[in-house]
Amino acid sequence: MPSHHSQKRLVGPLSRARGLGSAKHGLQHWWAQRVSAVALVPLTLWFVYSVVHLTGADQARVHDWLARPASAILMSLFIVAMFHHLALGLQTVIEDYVHREGVKLTALLLVKGLIVLTAAAALFTVLHVAVGG
Amino acid sequence: MAEAAPPPRTRPISPFLFPPTGTYRWQMTSTMSILHRITGVALGVGALLLTWWLLALLGEPSDFAAVQDFLGSIFGHFLLLGWTWALFYHLSNGIRHLVWDTGHALTLPNVYRGGWLVIGMSVVLTLATWLAGYWLR
Amino acid sequence: MAEFTLPANSKVKAGKKHPAAKNAKKPKTFKIYRWTPDDDANPALDEYPIDLGNCGPMVLDALIHIKNDIDSTLTFRRSCREGICGSCAMNIDGTNTLACTKPIDEVKGDVKIYPLPHMPVVKDLVPDLTHVYAQYAAIEPWMQTQSAPPSRERLQSPAEREKLDGLYECILCFCCTTSCPSYWWNGERYLGPAILLQAYRWIADSRDEAAGERLDALEDPFRLYRCHTIMNCTRTCPKGLNPAKAIAEIKKLMVERV
Repeated sequence: MPSHHSQKRLVGPLSRARGLGSAKHGLQHWWAQRVSAVALVPLTLWFVYSVVHLTGADQARVHDWLARPASAILMSLFIVAMFHHLALGLQTVIEDYVHREGVKLTALLLVKGLIVLTAAAALFTVLHVAVGG
Repeated sequence: MAEAAPPPRTRPISPFLFPPTGTYRWQMTSTMSILHRITGVALGVGALLLTWWLLALLGEPSDFAAVQDFLGSIFGHFLLLGWTWALFYHLSNGIRHLVWDTGHALTLPNVYRGGWLVIGMSVVLTLATWLAGYWLR
Repeated sequence: MAEFTLPANSKVKAGKKHPAAKNAKKPKTFKIYRWTPDDDANPALDEYPIDLGNCGPMVLDALIHIKNDIDSTLTFRRSCREGICGSCAMNIDGTNTLACTKPIDEVKGDVKIYPLPHMPVVKDLVPDLTHVYAQYAAIEPWMQTQSAPPSRERLQSPAEREKLDGLYECILCFCCTTSCPSYWWNGERYLGPAILLQAYRWIADSRDEAAGERLDALEDPFRLYRCHTIMNCTRTCPKGLNPAKAIAEIKKLMVERV
């Protein structure tokens, strides 16, 4: 807690504690993290089950597996829920530890950008295979 | 004119964090919490690998075989084993967190009971998954 | 970045070793964090080998013995010596607790005593509580009503009164708040477990008429949602209270009112 800063700035204690006031949000992020977590419980178990069955499989076998509608649908849902959950979680981690506003915003944008890019690539692959690529 | 008083010394920050650098005792509560975060970030890196594996489906069979060969190497096995445990730890502890969010199991004895249950589950599920993998191969 | 190490002026050096008590019946060494604003030295860990035969059973008894008989410069807060005022909260043997209710016998080996963690130090074991007190003031910890005052007390059923059990007992010692890693990193904006328990104490009070405004003021990524249910707060509370549970109830109300 950098109290020596406020000593220099001579900000009163209550002014410092109240800061810029309540942002009046935070519930949505918290709730979305929980909803995606609940969705990920069955999806993760399905994913592990599938991957275990594909141990050592060659491209043709994995391709055939992913081309099946059930696999493609569940894999798409897994990708969306997982990357969404990841983005929310990493946002919290960055907000916890990175305090300089500019660095924080940059880190948030970079991480979210990378996640959206990766998720799009993964989702595209699944759709491509499923639609008969 | 009276000489101005010297400026007050900057107060030190009292020690925090854990031994050896800090003072706060390692305990199950905070240790499991930071493990949840570390496994979460590790699984994020794992998601990159999953995407690489999927993308290889669009390439030549030899491209896919290269990914499978990497995962079949000792280093690949080491990574996959780590990710399997991280996955089951984050999954089990995530369920513990969801239960907490309903306001249940927040008493200290239940926090410790749940903690040991999560650790046990993560190890058992990891072993079961790997045994199943070898068996089905 | 959040600071994971102590700044240069806060690093703890080896301190003074006081001579051991002669013919001690029950020797025990206390290692105590010392810092004074009167010189330019860094904080140091002074060693006091004392005879437990000369003092009472609690850590506070040993501190008073040291101050009275060995080193009168040792500074700490204390008042009631029975766990009700919250003044002697400090970090003893790696966890935060009240010196007056912590038996020395519970500590194996040397007894290490630091001020409450990650706080600016006024002197020795006295932390600067200005910011947490201001955070307490910021949640407006008094009953707020719109309706006209009744001619007698505002009534509360036994069941409604029971909802305050486990909340009203908080003595604001800040053992929980200063045990919370999330408060270490974000104490500037995160209210911390003690203040959030106090906030819930008013939200849960059937006589208070400002629950909505109180929840409005709390709904914030930092003020409330920096709580990650780490559980150090409940683990350390010397009164056996459960701040984590109070915070979970606030989060549930946030969902309920959507």
